[in-house]
Amino acid sequence: MSGNRRIAASETGLLDRFRPLFEPRTYAVVGASTSKVTLGNEMLHHLRSMDFDGAVYPIHPKADEVEGLRAYPSLGETPEPIDFAYIVVAASQVPETLAAAKGRVKYALVVSSGFGEREESRGLQEELLRAANEAGVRVVGPNCLGTYCPAGRVTFIAGSAKDSGPVGVISQSGGLGVDIIRRGSIRGIRFSRLITVGNSADLGASDILEFYAADPETKVIGMYAEGINDGRRFFQILRDLNGAKPVVLMKGGRTEQGQRAAASHTGSLASDERVWLALAEQTGLVLVDTLEEFLDTLLAFQYLTPRTDHPTRDVVMFGNGGGTSVLATDFFARTGLEVPRFADETVRRLEEMNFPPGTSIDNPIDAPGGTMRVDDGRVAGRIVDAVYASGTPDAFVMHINLPVFQVSYDQGADYTGHLVESALEAQHRASGHTHFALVLRSDGSIEVEERKIADRRNAQALGVPVFDELPNVAGALAALRHYERFLQKHP
Amino acid sequence: MDVNACIADAVSSGRDTLDEGNGKKVLGSFGIKVPQSLLVPGPDAAGDAFSQLQAPLVAKIVSPDIIHKSDIGGVKVGLDSAESLEQALREIETAAKPHTDNIGGYLVEEMAPKGHEVVVGGSTDQTFGPIVMFGLGGIFVEVLADVAFRICPITTLDAQEMIDELKTVKLLRGARGGIVASEDAIVDTLMKVGGEEGMMLALEGKVTEIDINPLIVSESEAVAVDARFVLNKD
Repeated sequence: MSGNRRIAASETGLLDRFRPLFEPRTYAVVGASTSKVTLGNEMLHHLRSMDFDGAVYPIHPKADEVEGLRAYPSLGETPEPIDFAYIVVAASQVPETLAAAKGRVKYALVVSSGFGEREESRGLQEELLRAANEAGVRVVGPNCLGTYCPAGRVTFIAGSAKDSGPVGVISQSGGLGVDIIRRGSIRGIRFSRLITVGNSADLGASDILEFYAADPETKVIGMYAEGINDGRRFFQILRDLNGAKPVVLMKGGRTEQGQRAAASHTGSLASDERVWLALAEQTGLVLVDTLEEFLDTLLAFQYLTPRTDHPTRDVVMFGNGGGTSVLATDFFARTGLEVPRFADETVRRLEEMNFPPGTSIDNPIDAPGGTMRVDDGRVAGRIVDAVYASGTPDAFVMHINLPVFQVSYDQGADYTGHLVESALEAQHRASGHTHFALVLRSDGSIEVEERKIADRRNAQALGVPVFDELPNVAGALAALRHYERFLQKHP
Repeated sequence: MDVNACIADAVSSGRDTLDEGNGKKVLGSFGIKVPQSLLVPGPDAAGDAFSQLQAPLVAKIVSPDIIHKSDIGGVKVGLDSAESLEQALREIETAAKPHTDNIGGYLVEEMAPKGHEVVVGGSTDQTFGPIVMFGLGGIFVEVLADVAFRICPITTLDAQEMIDELKTVKLLRGARGGIVASEDAIVDTLMKVGGEEGMMLALEGKVTEIDINPLIVSESEAVAVDARFVLNKD
């Protein structure tokens, strides 16, 4: 990254301030029970299963022990100050719980709901803020679920991956936060941190965004937001970031017309949708509409290194499924990408390989099952070599329709394994900077799905993003293109 | 006249917009070019006004009750003699009478040079505050909504990208034998509306919306022919 995208030394203060939120050394849980399983008990279990190695202090008004741990009556009475307190008590009890902290708690994440979501409960949220303020506690939530940080060994859902990655996520919704971790992990996304911010009574999306922008562990930022309450600051943070890290935003409520009574042309044309698109143009932010697109895009940014000299446009497609690749070519074109015809030299090189009849040796390369089985599937490597020998496309997309091999009478070799392996070997041999993506298409049957999971895991281990269908990869590459174009224009 | 005083004056007299003359004074104070003009009290003053301006001239009604001036016959163009100006003012007066009993005079202006009609506007977004808009005038804005928005403050790169973003940009660049509009002049105007020191930020809280419609852009310059300022009455 160029000089003006470096992180300033003055940001180390920001890093130190937020570290206890994601990597606490002392963790209090308020709301674990001695008689039933509450979210508090679940949290104590999560900390154990993540091998959390800091101190854990259950807070309980009466019990001496909760889940085998020594319990303390209030946040003010633990043996040492608390970095992070997880609070799941009734909304009405939250203010006094916080008040008891008396300057000994850095962050409190309030799961409880029943605060600002409805007009009549706004008063309670103000009471919460007042209590937090007096006790010197910064609050996450209320009405949220938790934080996930593999390096800090904390999570709020069972079965979270323990290995870290480059993706930092801010989710206004707790439930979507769970989906992002679960589905994202299976897709190969690895997280630096994830936080659900709920009502954002105190700490909001912009605060966390500012931290992620400076955080060396976070290299790709994903956000789900319904509303941004400090838009000017949010815009300024993104402007200052100047594309140093890609930011992918899934924005809820974008198509709603604002309730403004516009008295001018300008006012009447200024829909929310247009303004968010303006933000994307001005900051390089990538806007997505669905969870699927969000994960596809984060995946692309995690695995592929953006290229500033030549934003992604020309794509080579290779795989089995003629109709599939024709449809995909149209779809790529609609997203601003191209599947251009090959140069004569490339065609000649492919011709010399003497493929079985029915093989298209122009782009998109359509290879029927018989062609894909040449050299037990290792033909893929030779095709990739041939394409790179006579040019450097911006992206190479290989797609395999798995059932053709998995449910076939011909089980003479591990065709899909060889296809993927040989293509990736060729990709590693190539000298140019071509984004490589793999599409593993399934029919949804158990046997094919199992194969797909195994193949996907292997490809991920080799550093290749895997997508479900060609339109998914088109969307992800178009997002990459948007970001690369921003970098090119803002050196 | 001081811009803030001009706005405060309009607000204190219960108005939610600036009239055209005052609007153009505000534009002028931010360095946006407006035609030479005079506020003429009535048809009898036509001869005096004509001698001070460069014909051909345009005459427009000034009234807080009339927003779409040309719709009611409140605008006359191509006036090239003192007599035709006087005649035009009488006709405007007759046409306006059914719509208002509050005629604040007549704005008599020099005609803008030949060029493309574009719209530059400002508005206030509930999330991001001041925003700026650019589009081609007439049906392109009103029917096709072929416009580009940006959040303030914009940079000159943002302004240039707003032009590039229009589907109809080829028209500005001389398609179908038209004039090649000065993109520098458009960028300059956009900066004066939406830039760091532009009107939308400088007048934030006082002005919520601006329409410069049309802005006439020739090969060399941009001239604001009409402007509408929506004031914040809170």
